Amino acid sequence: MKTENRKNPLRKIVSTVIFAALFNTTNLFADELLIGVATADITPKLPVALDGQFHLRIARTIETPLTANVVALESRDGNRFLDLAIMVSCDLVGIPREVLKSVRDEVKKQLPEIDVNKIFLNAIHTHTAPVMENGINSSFRYEIPKDSVLQPEEYDEFFVQRVSESIVKAWKNRSPGSVSWGMSHAALAYQRRTVYADGSAVMYGKTNTPEFRNMEGIEDHDVNVLFFWNRNGKLIAMSIDAPCTAQEVENRYAVNADYYHPVREKLKQRFGSDLVVLGWIGAAGDQSPRPLYRQAAEARMIKLRNLTRLDEITRRLVTAVEEVYETVEQDRYSDVKLVHKAEMLTLPKRIITEKEYEISKDEQEKAAGLIAADPKAAAQQLARMTWNRDVVRRYESQKTNKNATIDSEVHVLRIGDVVVCTNEFELFTDYGLRIEAQSNALQTFVIQLTGSGSYLPTEKAVKGGGYSAVAQSSIVGPDGGQILVDRTVKLINEMFPETK
Amino acid sequence: MKSLRIQISILVGFCLLTLFFNCCTGNKGAKGGSKEDKTGSFYIGWASVDITPDKPVLVAGQFPARVSEGVLDPITATALAIESGAEPSSEKVIMISCDLVSISDGTRNEYDENLRDNVRNLLKESLPELKPEQVILNATHTHTAPYCSSEKDSKNIYGVELDAMSPYDCQKYISERIAKAAEQAWKSRKPGGISFGLGQAVVGHNRLAVDLSGKSVMYGKTNTPEFGNLEGCEDHSVNLLYTWDKNKKLTGVVINLAASSQVTEGLYQISADYWHETRLEIRNRLGKDIYILPQCSAAGDQSPHIMIGEKGEERMQRLMFPDSIKTGDRTIGLRKQIAIRIADAVTSVFPYMKNNIEWNPYFVHRMEKIELSRRLVGVEDVNNALKEGEEFKKQYEKQLQEIKDNPAIKDKPRWYTNITSTYTKMRRGYSVKDRYELEKKQPKMPIEVHVLRIGDIVIATNPFELYLDYGMRIKGRSPAVQTFLVQLTGSGSYLPPSRSITGGSYGSVPASTLMGPEGGQELVEKTLEMINTVWQKNENLKGATDK
Repeated sequence: MKTENRKNPLRKIVSTVIFAALFNTTNLFADELLIGVATADITPKLPVALDGQFHLRIARTIETPLTANVVALESRDGNRFLDLAIMVSCDLVGIPREVLKSVRDEVKKQLPEIDVNKIFLNAIHTHTAPVMENGINSSFRYEIPKDSVLQPEEYDEFFVQRVSESIVKAWKNRSPGSVSWGMSHAALAYQRRTVYADGSAVMYGKTNTPEFRNMEGIEDHDVNVLFFWNRNGKLIAMSIDAPCTAQEVENRYAVNADYYHPVREKLKQRFGSDLVVLGWIGAAGDQSPRPLYRQAAEARMIKLRNLTRLDEITRRLVTAVEEVYETVEQDRYSDVKLVHKAEMLTLPKRIITEKEYEISKDEQEKAAGLIAADPKAAAQQLARMTWNRDVVRRYESQKTNKNATIDSEVHVLRIGDVVVCTNEFELFTDYGLRIEAQSNALQTFVIQLTGSGSYLPTEKAVKGGGYSAVAQSSIVGPDGGQILVDRTVKLINEMFPETK
Repeated sequence: MKSLRIQISILVGFCLLTLFFNCCTGNKGAKGGSKEDKTGSFYIGWASVDITPDKPVLVAGQFPARVSEGVLDPITATALAIESGAEPSSEKVIMISCDLVSISDGTRNEYDENLRDNVRNLLKESLPELKPEQVILNATHTHTAPYCSSEKDSKNIYGVELDAMSPYDCQKYISERIAKAAEQAWKSRKPGGISFGLGQAVVGHNRLAVDLSGKSVMYGKTNTPEFGNLEGCEDHSVNLLYTWDKNKKLTGVVINLAASSQVTEGLYQISADYWHETRLEIRNRLGKDIYILPQCSAAGDQSPHIMIGEKGEERMQRLMFPDSIKTGDRTIGLRKQIAIRIADAVTSVFPYMKNNIEWNPYFVHRMEKIELSRRLVGVEDVNNALKEGEEFKKQYEKQLQEIKDNPAIKDKPRWYTNITSTYTKMRRGYSVKDRYELEKKQPKMPIEVHVLRIGDIVIATNPFELYLDYGMRIKGRSPAVQTFLVQLTGSGSYLPPSRSITGGSYGSVPASTLMGPEGGQELVEKTLEMINTVWQKNENLKGATDK
């Protein structure tokens, strides 16, 4: 049943009746929801190599802590287990598959009773977090000094330990609670691909030129929020889903959780210092917080408000979250239906054209030549070289297997009237909107980057070219993107048979 | 005699000096102000009038006719008069925002009376010191406002007689009311200042749904497996211009955003749409006497309709406004929700405006009549349109005969809906032929473009339903700190970019457009040229900010 309305019982009853009468989508008398939360500090030791740019950056300062934030959910019918979900939001660039596996393995050791495949991790895509994947065959490899800098394997080990401990803690402290959901808007992210008169597209391209024609895609300013309450009606956690990667301070040489750090701090100020905030990034492969026009007006307003850009993003997002809170705080559900499916999809690998192969080969050789001439150039060139090398390898591989595929994990999680669906990519916004538009759920929380990340561009983006749409940037192309959409929608709508 | 001459010379000299002094200080009776004012010679006047006719009217904005069935909320015209400098060379402008679909300006028929020129002609008499081109009208694009045109008989528009005030009478009535607003604003101008800022509000959404084959449909379904994407981008910025009296009291706000006012566009009642609730909300927060002047930025492909995620939005409206009868897209619930979002943008920026008032901003206005390349229709377009027109003509004649045979049809409420829709489509088909003939004689279309610089902002107008892409091209290259684009300062016609023409949606087909990508880019370049001209800063006239 719904939890007690503390502030206005009459309004609560009326809204419940209206809600049930009009929608009848919530199973009011079925399940009990248990909620556990925890936070792990995943700030690395210094110095550490940072991920996310072509050039090597070694951080020697910590500007903000990095955290992993956990919400564990279990639904029960009396003593009967029904389903579970463990959601972990991480202040990282991406989630390497091996690291996810290690977390699950570690949790399995301590909690053998749970299906660890129902754990998913997502990254907020801060570009000021440690490199975690830097194997010899990595497609984005850095020349990280061996002696003086924390090694990726060392960080991974630390991360796995911290996160698995927190998952166990969250699972063990779960207790009956309730959940609310709602939505608002915040103009956080801007479309970052500019298109020119000749049809070409450039990420972060200039707009102040006569050749500029349009932004390639849409800007999505929806903010979806879930609030989690304990049995005493205290807000213990929230998850915020906005299609805006946390990369405002992406060029810094310091460890920083980007806008999610001040967002958490602001929300903790209002709702309590032990609040757990999960940052989820919606489909935003072609969006970022950097405005590409009207910059002068934005900068002036930020100056007038005496803020930084990071503060301004925080202000907008926190305002949106608070708006949702004010509206839905009395609309809580403790008996929600919780259904969680994890599935491994098989997606076709993007076919590499001969021209793409030639270009990549040329770029790889150029970078290799620079490194050969001066080993110090590796700091600038190794990632670029391996990025192109990967295309060359894929091209050679596809000669013998034109139908090569890649496994990609998705999660679809129904919580009451809303659904959460994940993907491993930097998913272009259009795909997210295709899923949301067809979803039968009241709200659809798309979460990207539950994997190591690779752009998943649309057909028009592939035509336009440019970073994020070229073969080097994407292992899966538009055909695979549509498969991802179709399967995700099917999984969602199977969970909402009553709202067909 | 000589001393008399000297005395007369001194007297004349004194009078001239006094006159000169008064001119310099702007102390000229109605304008008020004095040398003691910290304001220089910048004068601001506001007025707002109700332009709602008191009889049933034809409601503009849809294919079928609608005879108004009452007034949901009043439609208004709000005028902002600005004068800077000393007479007679002072810079003068009156901007008037009207709760109308568009501002007829003679573009479609230069020989007919039109709203814009009616207002200007009326003001020639009441305000002779103003030149006609110093009066700028814009429409909020509400689709629940009266049909204004030079047409005296509804039958010529809709093919049947309808019991409503004629568009001609309506235009005359509304012209007089708008002129009244302009006159009142002008005569009430007083020393004042401005400040400007940028807020955000999610109001407009791209309304063109593109399927996986590339075909685009206005308000097309998004909840199908064939849905690919929304055609263009969205712009959720809100440009704001606040005006102040000499006591630093807020007098009004110009609110500029890329969303037409058409949430409840299908109503049969007169309504200003979401601007009604927005005015109420802002006045509730900032003062009941505040004037609010809405401007619609480039938004030909935008509208406030929810294309994706309506269920979630609807629930939020229901929780926010438990007393609302209707919620969801195209409801008062959405209008209220939008009002809060816009008011939030206005009040979020407001605290930073009072300490950043410019009392004497550089103010300059340029108007040019420019000629843009028309979108030339080909013989095939004409033939296709004529064929379509012929089909609708047959349908219309059949429907007309049915009414003749059975006059009781007219007893049913809204009996005219089908036949008037058919007739409009028939006219739309035939109009392409007229256009084809016109284009042979006049391949370029003359339009009015206004550019105003007020301090570090620029306001630039166009008469179209201008697609957002063009707006971004102008904003991307504008040297101004903020660029307020104002669409629909004229009769309106969609102005789509190439990608939209490829998609083929309603707003991009020849019958919907007088201009295509070529003319659109010419508009961009010409507007930027004008903006760059007014941006040549005259340091002597540079405004002073009160810090």
